[in-house]
Amino acid sequence: MLTLTIFLTNCSGVKQLEIFKQEVPRAKLDLEKPTPLQLENLQWIIITSENADEVFKKLEEKGIDPVLWGLTDKDFELLAKNFARIRNQLMVTNNLLDKYKEYYESETEKENNE
Amino acid sequence: MGIRLFFIGLIVTALAGGGFYVLKLQKDNAILKANAIKLESAISEQQTLIENQKKDFEEILDANKKMNELVSVLKKDLEDLDKRFNKKNRDVGKLAIAKTKSIERITNGASALATRCIEIASGSPLTEKEKNATKKSEINSECPSIANPNYIPY
Repeated sequence: MLTLTIFLTNCSGVKQLEIFKQEVPRAKLDLEKPTPLQLENLQWIIITSENADEVFKKLEEKGIDPVLWGLTDKDFELLAKNFARIRNQLMVTNNLLDKYKEYYESETEKENNE
Repeated sequence: MGIRLFFIGLIVTALAGGGFYVLKLQKDNAILKANAIKLESAISEQQTLIENQKKDFEEILDANKKMNELVSVLKKDLEDLDKRFNKKNRDVGKLAIAKTKSIERITNGASALATRCIEIASGSPLTEKEKNATKKSEINSECPSIANPNYIPY
């Protein structure tokens, strides 16, 4: 009787539950970098009180409307500086994006390799 | 007879107790060994973690340093532009009146270079000519710091 009890108790043992977690790496954002700009060159025309007539005449000869958008020398200087500032900001932002990509995406690659 | 049995019982109990004690010691020993292995592996994992953190800090410092360098060279480009307009009390307006054609040519040349600078800043790859430029006559004078990596100002 005792042997039978021991035999049955051992056979019907409850198995211990095994719970495991597996960390799944976060999916890469993988956005493509914006296409670099391809800009058109524009033509600056300098008009002074002396050459104004000649400039307009030349425009008409070329079939271009004799009208010009004007800037003073000071405003031209400001425009050049504004463009330089925009360029610098673009460069910094682009560089920042590269650094983030390099830091986080190379990390994900490392983890995936491991 | 009774005393003999009592002593035999005592000896058997002592032997059994000793046996159980040895078994318990062996079991404890096995647990301690397993704990030691776990601790060693935990230490090694911690060391790897510390090394990775150190590497990350170095990368962060390096990225910061490079960003600061970029900001300072870009600032210098901007200062150079300012100098070009105002060097030795230069008045671009008066110069344009006196030498209209040549200032127009210079303006258009600089405008094309500045346009190229924006393309580079937006991610356009450098051409071989830009990469290899080392002389003042070869560089993009509007933004040499980003257009001509091999140019050292002299």
